[in-house]
Amino acid sequence: MELFLQQLFNGIMFGSTYAIVALGLTLVMGILNIPNFAHGHLYMLGGYCLFFFAGTLGLGYWAGMVLSVAALGLVGVLMEKFVYRPLNDQPHINAFIAAVGSLLFLESFALVVWGPQGLRIPNPHPQAIELLGITMSVQRLLVIIGAIVLIAGLHLFMKKTIAGATIEAVAQNREGAMLTGINVNRVSAMTFAISTGTAAVAASLISPIFMLSPSMGAILGMKAFVIVILGGMGSVPGAILGGYLLGLIEALGGGYISAAYKDVFAFAALILILSIKPTGLFGKREV
Amino acid sequence: MLKLKNVYTDIGGLQIIHNVSLEIEQGEFVALLGSNGAGKTTLFRTVAGVLKPNSGTIEFNGMGIHRMPVHKIVEAGLVLCPQGRQLFPRLSVEKNLIMGAYPIKGNKPRIQKNLDRVYELFPILKERRNQEAGTFSGGEQQMLAIARSLMSEPQLLLLDEPSVGLAPLIVEQMAETISNINREMDTTIFLSEQNANMALNITDRGYVLENGSCVLSGDCAQLKDDEKVRKAYIGA
Repeated sequence: MELFLQQLFNGIMFGSTYAIVALGLTLVMGILNIPNFAHGHLYMLGGYCLFFFAGTLGLGYWAGMVLSVAALGLVGVLMEKFVYRPLNDQPHINAFIAAVGSLLFLESFALVVWGPQGLRIPNPHPQAIELLGITMSVQRLLVIIGAIVLIAGLHLFMKKTIAGATIEAVAQNREGAMLTGINVNRVSAMTFAISTGTAAVAASLISPIFMLSPSMGAILGMKAFVIVILGGMGSVPGAILGGYLLGLIEALGGGYISAAYKDVFAFAALILILSIKPTGLFGKREV
Repeated sequence: MLKLKNVYTDIGGLQIIHNVSLEIEQGEFVALLGSNGAGKTTLFRTVAGVLKPNSGTIEFNGMGIHRMPVHKIVEAGLVLCPQGRQLFPRLSVEKNLIMGAYPIKGNKPRIQKNLDRVYELFPILKERRNQEAGTFSGGEQQMLAIARSLMSEPQLLLLDEPSVGLAPLIVEQMAETISNINREMDTTIFLSEQNANMALNITDRGYVLENGSCVLSGDCAQLKDDEKVRKAYIGA
């Protein structure tokens, strides 16, 4: 029972990170119509920005996190403007290649600036709480709470504000959005900023627990991609649920069978779910 | 109010609109007639700024708009209600309408007033205001598209083939509603139609487009009597 609860806790924590990262990926996908393959690498950059602001400049954890989110938001805006917007009217394959190019650039950039060895961000909340026989470190709890706050905030923004509704409008019908007077380019830039900013939140929450490395974005980006397909392309609730589901599958599979097979379980689940429901859990059939 | 001078438009290197010049005055109700493929939609998309003309000028209230982005043109008061409707299928009817009021966002009383007005014009939209737009029939979607384009109180409304794909009875109702919008709301309307019979009955005057060129213009009585128009568009 204790093993189960401990793995459940860990699964929810990993799932929180996955949910945030997949959410950002799905938002941009709705706008661009292509997956931003570099999304995991932007998450990685968010972790390194935290290291730079909190560690190198010594500004402390929370200030470092705020600055990292702001820096990544800016990176998102620039990326939309200079990488993807010029390719708007071009064949989709061009944007695909641009995404792969950005991914390679970001990984090499981190490698040159911070080196290949793993870096550690000192854990700002090393205390632990004992509850129901399981140990929960405060930082791990923060990951879970942070994700819930972020997801709830984003949900309110999308459903209750006009600016949030423009994201849905542009994703559902780009030309229709233009004709109602929405500045589609500005909405794209805003969506990118939200997407990359939330990736930085996820990275900042979890990087005090694990090491930073330039390759940490690749596997997470791949998993986020899996989650987005699992949840149904472009579906926001699908991305959130898929994220938690993947975290739980990994943690329970890893805890009960073998931790070495953790990624195998994740990708096997993808294959299984897609063979049963090809549109994903929340996918809508194209009409 | 609207003035096109020697407008040429290409799509993918193919010239669709050749040397079109026309003028619309404040308060008028003008028809753009032409068969399928004559270039009506391309001309409207050019005026609305979705496509940019290769040469020529488009003036709206004395301001050159042919190089302006679409959202600026909408803010200036020129709105296109597109063919194919271009609704937001997974947003509710009311949310679609509220997005139509984007240029006046923040002005709650004005948005509410416009909402009441379009609900009065199309009562079915009020009944179904919480339903997703994508679940609507063709006629209902057309009503929603027109209602949405009225939400920002346009001075000039371009209506691209509102009757396409609708049952004859619905077309009649639609024609009446559109005339009402022109008369009672004081909205200048430029209406494109294949259904020349319907269009000539409700508008003041018209232009005839053929292969992307403007071949004929005049008031409706005159056009109705024109041999060519009768043969080609009315079938009498």
